[in-house]
Amino acid sequence: MRTRPRYIAALFTAVLLATTACEGGDGGSSGNSSNGGQYPRNETLYTSGSAWGPPTTWNPIVPGYATGTVGLIYEPLFIFNPEKLELEPWLAEKGEWSADNKTYTVTLRDGVKWSDDKPLTADDVKYTVELGKIKAVPYSNLWNWLASVEAPDARTVKFTFSDPRVQEWENWLYENPIVPKHIWESRSEADITTHKNEKPIGSGPYVYQAHAQDRMVWKKKEGWWAEKALSLKVAPTYIVDIVNSSNEVALGLLTSGRLDLSNNFLPGVANLLKGDFKVKTYYAEPPYMLSANTAMLIPNTTKAPMNDVAFRKALAQSIEVKKIVEGVYGNIVKASNPTGLLPVYDQYVDQATVSSSGFTFDTAKAKATLASAGYRDTNGDGKVEDKSGKPISLKLIVPSGWTDWMEAARVIAEGAQAAGLNIVAEFPDAAALDDARTAGKFDLLLNNWTGVSNTPWTYYNYVFQMPVQAQQFSANFSRYQNQAAWELVQKLARTPSDDPAYKTTITELQKIQLAELPAIPLWYNGMWAQYTESTWTNWPSEASGAPKDFPSTWNNMWELGSIKMLTQLKPASSK
Amino acid sequence: MSDVDSARADAASASDPAHVAEVVSAPAVPLATGPVAAAAPGARRTRDALHFALRNKKVVGGGIVVLAFLALGMIAPLFYDYGHSEYVGPQSTGPSGEYWFGTTTFGQDVFLQFVHGIRSTFLVGLLGGGLAALIGMTIGFVAGYVGGLVDEALNMLTNIVLVLPALAVLIILHTYIGISSVPSQALFIGIFSWPWVARAVRAQTFSLRTRDFVDLARLSGMGSGAIIRREIAPNMSSYLFMTFILLFGGSVLFAATLDFIGLGPTGVMSLGLMMNNAVHWSALQLGLWWWFLPPGLGITAIVGALYIMNVGLDEVFNPKLREM
Amino acid sequence: MRRYFARKVAIYLLTFFVAVTLNWLIPRFMPGDPVLRMLTRTSVSNPDAIAPMREYYNNVFGLDVPLWRQYLNYWAELLQGNMGISVWLFPAPVTEVILDAVPYTLALLIPSILLSWYAGNKVGALAARRRWLDNTVLPLGYALTATPYMWIAIVLAWSLAIIAGIFPVAGGYSFDLQPSWSLVFFNSLLQHWFLPFLSLFLVAFGGWAIGMRNMIIYELEADYANYLEALGAPRRLIRRYAFRNALLPQLTGLALQLGVLVAGALVTEIVFGYPGLGRLILMAIQNQDFFLLQGAFLFIVIGVLIANFVIDIIYVLVDPRTRTGMTGGAA
Repeated sequence: MRTRPRYIAALFTAVLLATTACEGGDGGSSGNSSNGGQYPRNETLYTSGSAWGPPTTWNPIVPGYATGTVGLIYEPLFIFNPEKLELEPWLAEKGEWSADNKTYTVTLRDGVKWSDDKPLTADDVKYTVELGKIKAVPYSNLWNWLASVEAPDARTVKFTFSDPRVQEWENWLYENPIVPKHIWESRSEADITTHKNEKPIGSGPYVYQAHAQDRMVWKKKEGWWAEKALSLKVAPTYIVDIVNSSNEVALGLLTSGRLDLSNNFLPGVANLLKGDFKVKTYYAEPPYMLSANTAMLIPNTTKAPMNDVAFRKALAQSIEVKKIVEGVYGNIVKASNPTGLLPVYDQYVDQATVSSSGFTFDTAKAKATLASAGYRDTNGDGKVEDKSGKPISLKLIVPSGWTDWMEAARVIAEGAQAAGLNIVAEFPDAAALDDARTAGKFDLLLNNWTGVSNTPWTYYNYVFQMPVQAQQFSANFSRYQNQAAWELVQKLARTPSDDPAYKTTITELQKIQLAELPAIPLWYNGMWAQYTESTWTNWPSEASGAPKDFPSTWNNMWELGSIKMLTQLKPASSK
Repeated sequence: MSDVDSARADAASASDPAHVAEVVSAPAVPLATGPVAAAAPGARRTRDALHFALRNKKVVGGGIVVLAFLALGMIAPLFYDYGHSEYVGPQSTGPSGEYWFGTTTFGQDVFLQFVHGIRSTFLVGLLGGGLAALIGMTIGFVAGYVGGLVDEALNMLTNIVLVLPALAVLIILHTYIGISSVPSQALFIGIFSWPWVARAVRAQTFSLRTRDFVDLARLSGMGSGAIIRREIAPNMSSYLFMTFILLFGGSVLFAATLDFIGLGPTGVMSLGLMMNNAVHWSALQLGLWWWFLPPGLGITAIVGALYIMNVGLDEVFNPKLREM
Repeated sequence: MRRYFARKVAIYLLTFFVAVTLNWLIPRFMPGDPVLRMLTRTSVSNPDAIAPMREYYNNVFGLDVPLWRQYLNYWAELLQGNMGISVWLFPAPVTEVILDAVPYTLALLIPSILLSWYAGNKVGALAARRRWLDNTVLPLGYALTATPYMWIAIVLAWSLAIIAGIFPVAGGYSFDLQPSWSLVFFNSLLQHWFLPFLSLFLVAFGGWAIGMRNMIIYELEADYANYLEALGAPRRLIRRYAFRNALLPQLTGLALQLGVLVAGALVTEIVFGYPGLGRLILMAIQNQDFFLLQGAFLFIVIGVLIANFVIDIIYVLVDPRTRTGMTGGAA
């Protein structure tokens, strides 16, 4: 017995040595290609930042699919070009409105094939669109204004509208991928939305290679249609998308060169850019990132005093957005334009309206606005009371654990307090917050479901959507009712972008938005993207000559042109 | 540890074979006490204990560390006119004369967070440990003294709570109820930490209830509650005190775990939350060691000191061990 | 012995019953609507689609029948190994998601529990008889056992993985590998496993070492030890008896520590981004996937119950008194 402990110790040391020895072995072998299922480093693109859970479904119809399912596998008819703010033909060769804007005709490209070698035809498109007749399919409301879809020949699809909502239709065109009829038609109605669709058959440049708990691996497909049609070739042979365990893990992988593109929100990344970590972003200077969506302060306008425009205005004036941008985010976000329109829509911003009725941070002005509207501190507690003299006490809710938003909410509450508004930040858990937002049981909250798209219509639809229902799921959380504004939004949906009325309608909406402030735009969240150049170069950036595609692997971003980023990448060695 | 005797087939508990195999240890640190030294007059025993305690290096050393942290947590925050989550300094700077433990990526004062965290730590230890001790002792006394069906039922309850993995239950509960303050966190921790105490106290009570002085009290017409309070509990007081110390340490570690996975109280700074924040904001990758080292060290120091104090107390109350 | 096991099994079954009932009960009587949340999360931009989708998902999740039926259905499904469908990873079944993660957690837990218990007991026993060892093991043991699991994990990750770069920071195996029966893959697994394992091992080791050391000292002070010594029995023999006797409480201690160890494994996995149950639970919390959370909860309960039972069996093997039926065992 006396000798045993020594034996244990020896065993333990041996294990230690063995594991450290393995380390050396791995370092040496990483250069080898085709070694026991190893992806060659110089042909593989490592990404992260879009998947937050193990890949479990490859069904492009319902959200939650593995990263790249739509984009790399399934493709839409058009993709969006954010530089030119217009649609680009993708699976379609062209699309045309009839003179009366009642019908839209799509001509498909010749020679597009599914990865099982069957041709992609107009029947597939017709089938995909008609899936929307199943209520559980997310785009089923398309059929409220689409009358019929026909496929007169293999390459032509004709859509007839009962209500031609041009903008909304274009939005549909690039957001929704086409699925192969010959595979899907055998599935039951319930299966369409619940099938996992393993080993997906698509038209895109990649095919399924492997997946595990913490990764999704795609392999390049030979003979992708765009190689011939558009002379586009995707560079990486393999794409390994790493499931985020957390942002800090992504940062660790990135700085050690084991990750090429991180679309994670990496706090403190501004420090890294200054250091010698070789991390790059779209802009070399603040805000470093392109803007992806607008973070808005949502007042519940069904409650007093949030139903008072003057109050909302004072609130907007009390917020020091600069402090959020610098203190909370370290300058990786950008303060929002008072209209809330994303920078890609800069050309639509009506500067005259902004300068005449936009709001700026000014505590004194906020106090004045409150005073002139009748909010006074009658009981001497330093905070204003409402018009009848009752104390105001409001809660700004932000999900617990969303640390950046929690910090931002504190800044907002602090600013409001300074202006005499008794607002405190509270952090219920995310589910409770979802319930509160959906049911309208809140005073104030933050929300940013205002992502970049082909048209400001999506933004105004988010702000003004009517009718206000008992449960609001995706838009108008302020529950703000303004029939005139809503009619303008619907008008915008029907107006083609090249129509002069398009811009004037947007201007009208800006005026209402700024006068009424149904939601208060604060800052633009970044399209987080950090890249290293050790394996791949020619990343999108502001530099002249560099690609201008969105550098993002987030779902929905591929259709917004990110897919083209893959065709622009160059191996670092061939520089 | 009910008592080590019961593992041996001798002495008091041997008279009750049903409990021979019942050996209970505290979370993390087994607590061992010898046979309960009964019947020494209370006042003299306390004086004796104090005498030896003050001469026991482990008790004194551990006590000093614990008290020092307590004082730090109580007093230090008073010297600051800003809050622990306010952005006061430059961002991500190391320890300096002005910010002793440096600043976070937001420019919050890490030292201030640390001392606030110590406050929460003591609060959750005190409340959580206290509650667990209260529940455990009540159940243990009642089960051990009353016996019979009541004992069976309580024993069943104890065993079920004992086997249920507390963290898993708390995660489920928290998801639906939410923990908003340190006291409510302590409540949840207390509710799930008592079983081993109940078992240990029950076993001790079992061995005490047949003693002469308890019989005497019963003959004199004293009620059950009174007997437990006046005769049995005082005879186990040293043991109960040590139990509380262990529960205190256990609660602190438990709370740190909950805070770390983001299930802690909102709006309050705690050492576990500091670690959570540090990890969440990439302090490891960015090398902000001053952010994540102090909170863990603080917990380790407090809990470790408590445990060492406990060993010392054991020696104090259990004269046989003193020469070791 | 039969009575002993019957009692144990009865308690475990009862515990399981309570756990399942709790599991079923808690979410159903708490505010909130899981289906609504899922719809909210997928942010259906289409008010018209919500009512039918909701009805449909209520049906999928089995929420559209009376409560008592739901409870019975729950049991029926559970006994077939069906724990429902994950909301977060829809449409993956919870059981499947969890089974993917469980091997990683077990690979951490089992070796760290066994090795730490074994090594802790040996070192603790040694410490009890060598003063110099005692003076080092005791403070070290107390420090280790007082260390929060995640902190030791943080320190190891920071020092050995990030600064020294000896070990990888995250993942179950290197991201450039496909699982295969190759040496490269196995090495990669081992490397990613080592640090999480070490953190768990160290903390648990401290506890066992101290426990054993204290226990032996008690044993050596016990009457039988003094008696044997008076009879002139060799010191070694006495120590062996003491060790034997001290092992039993340590074994019980192991059963009691299981919950704490599992909790430790969960937070350790989170620090190392290890793809086990801990990380899954964290994600389930963040995504409000209560089916998954509850599935994980049941898995943990079942695991702990099985482990308890195994320990009971070992206890009987080690302790002759339970075997001869001298005692029924209290619990």
